[in-house]
Amino acid sequence: MDLLALSMIIPQLIIAAGIVLAMLLVAWRRSQQLIANFTLFILILSLVATINGFGVDKLSVTQLLAVDDYSRFAFILVLSATMICLYLSKIMLKQVEDVHDEYYLLLLLVVLGAGILVVSDHFASLFLGFELLSIALVGLVGYCRKAPNAVETGFKYLILSASASSFMLLGIAFIYAQTGDLSFTQSSIENTGLTIPLLYQIGFMLFFSGVAFKLSLVPFHFWTPDVYQGASSPVAMLLATVSKCAMFIVLLKCCYTATNLAVLQHEKLFEFISWIAILSMIVGNSLALKQQSIKRLLAYSSIAHMGYLLIVVLISNSSGLNMAWQSVLFYLTAYLLANASIFTVITLMDRDRDVYLDVTINDWCGLFWQQPLKACLLIFSLLSFAGIPLTAGFIGKFYLVSLAANQSLWALLAALIIGSGIALAYYLPVIFSLFSQDQVSDDKHTVSMSLLEKFVVTLFIFTGLAIGIFPDAIGSVLQAI
Amino acid sequence: MIISLLMIGLVLSGGFAWYMETKRSGQAKFIALLATLVLGFSFTLYIVTSPDSFADLVLLTNVTWISVFNIRYMIALDNLSNLLLILTFILTVVAILISWREITHRQGFYYFNLLTTIAGIIGVFTAVDMFLFFFFWEVMLLPMTALIAIWGHENRQFAAIKFFIFTQVSSLLMLIAIIMMAFLHKQQVGQLSFAYEDWLTLTLTADYSYYLMLGFFIAFAVKLPSFPVHSWLPDAHTQAPTAGSVLLAGILLKTGAYGLIRFVIVLFPQASAEFAPIAAVLALISILYGAKMAFAQTDFKRLVAYSSISHMGFVMLALFAFNANAFQGAVITLVAHGLSSAALFAFAGMIYARIHSRDLRQMGGFWRSSPVMGGFALAFAAAAFGMPGLANFIGEFYSLIGAFQRFPLITILAALGIIGSAIYGMLLFQSSFQGPVKNSFIDLSIREGFIAASLFIFLLVLGLFPNLVLQYSYNGGL
Repeated sequence: MDLLALSMIIPQLIIAAGIVLAMLLVAWRRSQQLIANFTLFILILSLVATINGFGVDKLSVTQLLAVDDYSRFAFILVLSATMICLYLSKIMLKQVEDVHDEYYLLLLLVVLGAGILVVSDHFASLFLGFELLSIALVGLVGYCRKAPNAVETGFKYLILSASASSFMLLGIAFIYAQTGDLSFTQSSIENTGLTIPLLYQIGFMLFFSGVAFKLSLVPFHFWTPDVYQGASSPVAMLLATVSKCAMFIVLLKCCYTATNLAVLQHEKLFEFISWIAILSMIVGNSLALKQQSIKRLLAYSSIAHMGYLLIVVLISNSSGLNMAWQSVLFYLTAYLLANASIFTVITLMDRDRDVYLDVTINDWCGLFWQQPLKACLLIFSLLSFAGIPLTAGFIGKFYLVSLAANQSLWALLAALIIGSGIALAYYLPVIFSLFSQDQVSDDKHTVSMSLLEKFVVTLFIFTGLAIGIFPDAIGSVLQAI
Repeated sequence: MIISLLMIGLVLSGGFAWYMETKRSGQAKFIALLATLVLGFSFTLYIVTSPDSFADLVLLTNVTWISVFNIRYMIALDNLSNLLLILTFILTVVAILISWREITHRQGFYYFNLLTTIAGIIGVFTAVDMFLFFFFWEVMLLPMTALIAIWGHENRQFAAIKFFIFTQVSSLLMLIAIIMMAFLHKQQVGQLSFAYEDWLTLTLTADYSYYLMLGFFIAFAVKLPSFPVHSWLPDAHTQAPTAGSVLLAGILLKTGAYGLIRFVIVLFPQASAEFAPIAAVLALISILYGAKMAFAQTDFKRLVAYSSISHMGFVMLALFAFNANAFQGAVITLVAHGLSSAALFAFAGMIYARIHSRDLRQMGGFWRSSPVMGGFALAFAAAAFGMPGLANFIGEFYSLIGAFQRFPLITILAALGIIGSAIYGMLLFQSSFQGPVKNSFIDLSIREGFIAASLFIFLLVLGLFPNLVLQYSYNGGL
């Protein structure tokens, strides 16, 4: 491994070094302020290093990792989401008395896992990143021990996550048994084309199931609402953004190799993944319909969003690869921004009340008339989820629809349209409740926001609108990759 | 540039009205009215003084918007859009005046929504980049939905959601058709293009263009609305505040007809000719079914809403007859129905303001206490069933003459719809203004009288001198 190759993974190395230093820091002095700032510093450093690396061609770093601009962009998304999560965590942790050094350590570990995932080029590094991410997340999910469902949530996530990774491991083993190679790019099966060895098919399916668990695709979605609801809001946001973003990128890196593109066109596998996508869109959206808890609603809607995204896995020819990458990254950006926005508002509400109380739609009644800033942010992010113009989510959906139409994936498009229709039936009532006149109690939304919070909320609104109205800002960056 | 300025002006004055309302209540409506009058006047001045004849599309603005997909911000005008824009401004003034007393809470935000809806509608009538068109098509929905959901009647949220979902799902089909057309352009010319003018040069294969045409057609048929995708309309019209109903019936339905004229028929001439018999049958069903359903209603606004379905059926029948007379008739019907249904909804609002009910069974004998109102109501009901001398007559007459050459049987049956409209029109008038006196209230105020008189004058002038509109050539579909 030469110096150039090493320089490719500097952002990940910074995070790794940061974790070690953070542990030393804990030994030296226990201060929440200190370690939070230190974590932020590490994240910014890593972000700068990532942006600095932009424009360098794809390069393999040993067999395990391969860094290109797509993974850099994805890592930027991960880092930005983590920074927002850090900001929210600081707000949340103020409510709880203890000193929370380990929380920030776990946060950095999640980033490291995600960082490995987005650059991995080999099943071994994939598994490494996957486990790093999962185990650190288990810690975070059950972190607030005093919360009513903390233990249950943590356990649920731990056990299901562990079984998912064992499925995945078995799948990887099958693939290895067939090909004798664990690398994404180099593995080749003997007769590519119509006859794909059964073992490879099963292996791929098992591997996909493991990933599908993390992406909470139907029928591996059962943990999602409970964990979203049980975890604290910043952690739920981390689950929704960092974990899904990284897993999706690694899935694409694995699927977009010459061999696997051919494998995915195999009738059974194509159907298998199509059904998962269609079911996720329909079931996810339908289950969200009557939810009162905002977090559960977001959990179900995230299932549907991952279903939409799965369209890009099914593209048939390699000519659409660039377009597919652009679509995914744009969609993820929009999705991440909307999630971050909503969870910011939820965290701010948590702070004003009991932390452990679940936020329901009723709590937001009449918010628009009392705290227009927060309500505007909510409206824009919900519209973004629904894919209505003026928001980034619409452009993301436009990318997906044009990709699917170009690839003639009509069944998936039909499911997308039906899913979007159902989705409106639960996004709109939430938006309407913000305008509701009936139950406006005076004391509910009186707590004012600090200047910084106002700034953050305004920033989110403007970023969302800016991307929605001038999507070229992101689109041309992605196109240049 | 003028159109962009109009839209920006409307949004900004909406925002200004909202802001000023927080400073001192009661200011928003003046600002909104003033802004609409000034902008509408400057637009009229622009098209009158412009050297262009607007016989063909005149491209006003052309700027790159999203370079990744070669999407451009393109705005163009021709006679059809000019006509509909003027109608839009007239009805906006009506809508603001009709809300003057009706809206008592959250006025600032109300007028903001009203003006942004108008801005979106202006965009729809002028955009010639299809992505931009779609963008405005959706954007105009948002404030309209807010109008229904916040200021509507008892069942407003359900109506708003239904309205939104119907339009959204159908417009996604259109989005797919738009994208396919852009890719088709890429196949034939070498690069993506969403520009309307570029698409006119494409050669379409028969089977392909049929599906693409359907994508557009469904979106516009929902908006028009046509049977069997009309069911959002009675709910949305009934639950919306009066100004919302005026805008919905007066302008939003016209965006559907506009889309049929400008995009479906012009872009896919062969496919739409092939589809014409089905469209004509759908139109016939809409005409008869709308009339029948209107007759069965006991809710004033619901009755008018169903009558809109019937009248829009004539427009669709005429458009798919591919005939100069029918086409002229369709355009006149658009304007005439915009004015007359707006007037009827305005009357529903005025009656509601007095007796707090839309139920026809609770009405009766209003003529005794308010004869001026009764006179106007009779006139507008007469306009709706196509009395000669008023604009609706010209529109329906031309439509039927034109359509008869293509679909004789369907047209004969469709003419029965006119009899139906006379029946429900009289039903509407008789059960509210005649019969035993159930309520008595004060007659029209000056503001209400002004609304009614001006709408009536427009209808009368157009009815007597239809050449005011017909003299401009509308070359769509021919």
